[in-house]
Amino acid sequence: MMWETAILVGLMFGGACFLILQASFVRILFGFILLSNAANLFLLAMSGRPDGKSAPVLQGNSAPAVDPLPQALILTAIVIGFGVIAYMVILLYRTFLDQGTANACELFDPRRERPKEDAS
Amino acid sequence: MKDLVFALPILLPLLTAIVALLAGRRRWRRWLIGLSATAQLGVALVLAHGAYGQPPQVLGLGGWAAPYGIVLVIDLLAAIMLALGALTALAAILFGYAELPPEDENPLRLPLIQFLVTGINLAFCTADLFNLFVAFEVMLIASYALLTLEADDWDIKQAFPYLALNLVGSTLFLVAAGLTYGMFGSLNFAQIAERADALAGTPQLTLLALLFLTVFGMKAGVFPLFYWLPNSYPILPSPVAALYAGMLTKVGVYVLLRIFGQVLPPDLSLPHLLMAWLAAATMIFGVLGAVSRNFIRGILSFHILSQIGYMVLAIGLFTPYALAAAIFYIIHHIVVKSTLFLVGGTVVVLNRTDDLEKTGRLWLATPVLGVIFLLQALSLAGIPPLSGFWGKYMIIVEGLRQQEWVLVFCALLAGVLTLFSMLKIWNGAFWAAAAKEGVHTEERRWRPMAAVAGGMTVISLGIGFGAEFFLGVAHEAARQLLDRPAYIEFLLRGGG
Repeated sequence: MMWETAILVGLMFGGACFLILQASFVRILFGFILLSNAANLFLLAMSGRPDGKSAPVLQGNSAPAVDPLPQALILTAIVIGFGVIAYMVILLYRTFLDQGTANACELFDPRRERPKEDAS
Repeated sequence: MKDLVFALPILLPLLTAIVALLAGRRRWRRWLIGLSATAQLGVALVLAHGAYGQPPQVLGLGGWAAPYGIVLVIDLLAAIMLALGALTALAAILFGYAELPPEDENPLRLPLIQFLVTGINLAFCTADLFNLFVAFEVMLIASYALLTLEADDWDIKQAFPYLALNLVGSTLFLVAAGLTYGMFGSLNFAQIAERADALAGTPQLTLLALLFLTVFGMKAGVFPLFYWLPNSYPILPSPVAALYAGMLTKVGVYVLLRIFGQVLPPDLSLPHLLMAWLAAATMIFGVLGAVSRNFIRGILSFHILSQIGYMVLAIGLFTPYALAAAIFYIIHHIVVKSTLFLVGGTVVVLNRTDDLEKTGRLWLATPVLGVIFLLQALSLAGIPPLSGFWGKYMIIVEGLRQQEWVLVFCALLAGVLTLFSMLKIWNGAFWAAAAKEGVHTEERRWRPMAAVAGGMTVISLGIGFGAEFFLGVAHEAARQLLDRPAYIEFLLRGGG
């Protein structure tokens, strides 16, 4: 179980890095979504093997429960990650509207010049 | 209830931000936020006074004691940082009041500054790794919003590298927190410190330390991962840029101090060595970037990186003397750097631009501003007896003592190049005659703006001339930081 999780987390991090290094905004966005989920999965793996353990809910039985702390951490991280990704969607959309390109290479091309009318 | 005063550095800005969001009248809001910022400075000074020579103050949130609940710990270092943060925020807010009339100000700017301060203060006070992550996120989300709030259509693209690199940094931080929990079964600083001693010298601990170095080095702006900073800060409005320049990267340096000085065991030679060499690279590349720019805020933004190099170098040398030097350098740097950004903002008002090709004649028009700039620029370059000299002197002495000749050479070279790029601003803005539009001294608002910068300069001069007192404080803060057994004992068994 541990090995499968490790390989999955590694694949997710690798895929996320690949996507983030692409030029298209949409791929970069998907890369970041994958990246935050890879980190969450990694956190979940820190609670150890779940075999034979119950959910961390008190029901009167004395079966050993899985460590609840990583789950609490993941919940917090998901909420924060969701907020930041939402911000990123809006930022990329506004950049697309303002600059007329959805390609990071074109966006940071040094030959592009600031339009004259709003030069201050 | 008496303990509640230790939560004030977080509660006060948070409540102010929420009330300011709800309050309608802009003038009232300005009064409210100005008073709150002053009160925050007062609270921080009281805390710093109480922390000198005393064991740290501990507040268990919700009444839960140290290893189980989340605790806030205020020791001398945290209190110093709180005071500096409150001072910078107050200066930025007052400068903003002087720069724009209330009706022209973006209604979200002041509440967002308060949210930013909340995150910064929480990062200083917390003694829990995951809570530190939350503090970083509060701070970063507020900073993303402030960065794009007033950016124009062309500048907005510079926010993207800032967001992307910080998001990668946050993800790595999450992974580091997970690894720490997997290794030690706890996220409380004292408990990690207690259990890390057993692992001292093992490759796992070295790996964890390197991961922390990557994460917090990125937040601090250390060499290979600093690209998020120098192009994004110039798009900020000047008062907000002064706050960012003073505080944001220093939060990263503070956490490096806290994690490497207090939480991890002191015998991590590989990460310390790596830190020192990365710091030397940061200094050189940062200052070369500054030399290559030709507008004031661009030069100053690259200088932040170069100065971060000195602080991180001091942490990398890792002796009590070097850590005291790092703390003194932080005190000096925050005041000087934010003042220089405020001067840059005043130049923009007077010359309508901060492009050094187009600015000029300021020395004739406003010698006071020239004196303020000159004092702070020379202090940044490290000319005695100004405050920058003492920090650099201590770091170089410690480098010579450890016979790190190359590192010392890099530090001295960066100092010379700093002086060179400051002279570039001096020549371009104050001495050059080529101001096409002339100097707009009829803009009355430049006087209160220069007055705020002047007030910060007086404080900076005080740090330079009262160096003995501030060095004493820095030494005491470093002593408290490095006294790990007392910290563990106090947090896990004594206090709370």
